[in-house]
Amino acid sequence: MNKTTSIATLFIVVMAVFPFLVDSAWLSIGITFLVFAVVAFSQDIILGRAGIFNMGHAIFFGMGAYTTAILNVHFGFEIIATIPFAIIVPVIFSILLAGPIIHLRGDYLLVATIGFNIIFEQVLKNNVFGVTGGPNGIFGIDVVRVFGYELWSDTAIYYMAFGLLLITFLIIRNLDTSKYGRALYYINKNEIAAKSMGINISYYKLFAFALGAAIAGAAGCVFAIQYSAVSPESFNFMQSVMFFAIVLVGGSASLPGIIIGTFVMFVLPELFTEFKESRYLIFGAAMVLTMILRPNGVWPATFGNIPTFLKKKAAKLKGSK
Amino acid sequence: MDTFLQQLINGLTIGSLYALVALGYTMVYGVMKLINFAHGDLVAFSAYVGLTIFTQFYGSNALSLVNIVIVFCLTAIVVAFVGVLLERLAYRPLRTAPRLSAVVSALGASLVIQNAIMLIWGPNMEIFPADVFPSTSWNFGGVIISFTQVIILALSAVLMIGLYTFINKTKIGTAIRATAIDQDAAKLMGINVNRIIVTIFVIGSMLGAIGGLFIGIYYRGLTFDMGWLYGLNAFIAAIIGGIGSIPGAMLGGLLLGLFNAMISGYISTEWAETFTFILLIVILILRPTGILGEKTAEKV
Repeated sequence: MNKTTSIATLFIVVMAVFPFLVDSAWLSIGITFLVFAVVAFSQDIILGRAGIFNMGHAIFFGMGAYTTAILNVHFGFEIIATIPFAIIVPVIFSILLAGPIIHLRGDYLLVATIGFNIIFEQVLKNNVFGVTGGPNGIFGIDVVRVFGYELWSDTAIYYMAFGLLLITFLIIRNLDTSKYGRALYYINKNEIAAKSMGINISYYKLFAFALGAAIAGAAGCVFAIQYSAVSPESFNFMQSVMFFAIVLVGGSASLPGIIIGTFVMFVLPELFTEFKESRYLIFGAAMVLTMILRPNGVWPATFGNIPTFLKKKAAKLKGSK
Repeated sequence: MDTFLQQLINGLTIGSLYALVALGYTMVYGVMKLINFAHGDLVAFSAYVGLTIFTQFYGSNALSLVNIVIVFCLTAIVVAFVGVLLERLAYRPLRTAPRLSAVVSALGASLVIQNAIMLIWGPNMEIFPADVFPSTSWNFGGVIISFTQVIILALSAVLMIGLYTFINKTKIGTAIRATAIDQDAAKLMGINVNRIIVTIFVIGSMLGAIGGLFIGIYYRGLTFDMGWLYGLNAFIAAIIGGIGSIPGAMLGGLLLGLFNAMISGYISTEWAETFTFILLIVILILRPTGILGEKTAEKV
């Protein structure tokens, strides 16, 4: 067992027994951490793996949460029955929104996704079709019922979020070893080279968008369950900036990096409540400093490194010259 | 027809404010290929600095023309200093780093400035005094033009013509254009690229400072997070005109101002931002290089 595997195992074991070690305040911080970690991982598929400058990821997170809330509160769906919708709706919108702009160069795409996020926020606030509840959002989301059991405790919600995180890990692992993951990796490294190898750039980028949106939507559903309420502030442009920063501060395509990023951005502020006023000031300074000291993130990914035997060969060739 | 003319005047006023701010974005993007997210917050910062200096003068003697000129100059100098500091601390160390690292650094710098404003001046709204400029206004058959609007339009026009001449006729302007086209080649021609970038930040911040002061005087209410909104609008203006192009930023600013005024005059104010972004996305789909942007082939 190498170092990475043992760290990962340790992390999963600690997270699995976490609810039995702490009180309720910590438990809700734990849920928040898990939910935001899942969203950060889904953003990482789009931003870190496919290299698409997406600064509107809170849209898909919010769509998942609002789909659950609207279907439950206005249409009387059971929470369990809303999960498929909370995944499919963001996927459909991600394809519809990203489709026309997917060919744009980095920064233009970034501004366009900021635009989508601001439109999304305004749609929620202006209470479109009378179902989004305006600036206050939607209250009174039901508890989860499975086979007659009511899963209302924080521990149950914690394990839902934890299960979602494990599923996300599984998806990312499978993605990395599949044709799709490799295609995204090539596109990220060199788009023109990937194109000339016959990779359909737009198709794979849209795939990354749809997959990221699906996972974020599922996380949104858990978020709605946790707070039993949703409001536009949770999915505004600032949240998107946070998700964008988590991936790049932690390290693109790096699982431990993103865990660290989520911890720093969402858990530390809960611990140091006396700094709440100057919280974002410290964040901002930390973002600048991290990028200067470690431009590739705190814990850069090792995926795609040159194998050692090739390095040795290259060193030999260099020596013989 | 009256509404149309009135919105035309209002739109041109807002548009010239956008244009002043957009110039800062477009010049930095032209040379460094970086969206300077902190520029919007610098604009908000300058409104606050201006307000503080105004209130200092206000207590002792009435505002005269000389005082106003002094306030504008002082604000511009303070903000230019902060702009140069920003470039030194947040952008220069990352000039060779991956593109996204610089974007995150810019976002971080933006958060720092925004929250510094909040910590210095407090989270509540600050109000600019109403009588910075005389409250005279003229009525042309139903269309009202205030003194403030005239000043904003006139001074913006002067500044923009000045900048255009500076960029096109002087030696430093030529160096700026050369650096924007190819930094390495510019270096080989003996241009001090670092100094050019500092110059750009000084000019951009000063124009932004004047824009910010005008925003304060025109709208009067200041909030610490207003920089994002004006910054984003100005950046959209820069994209509409063609990012990297200086006349493009001026044209884009005016067009976006008119568009905003017409939307809020005829359709709705609630959805104003949505329409702005729809316009942006339509332009990005149809003509990603903007109206005056040159189409450059992607280098392989």
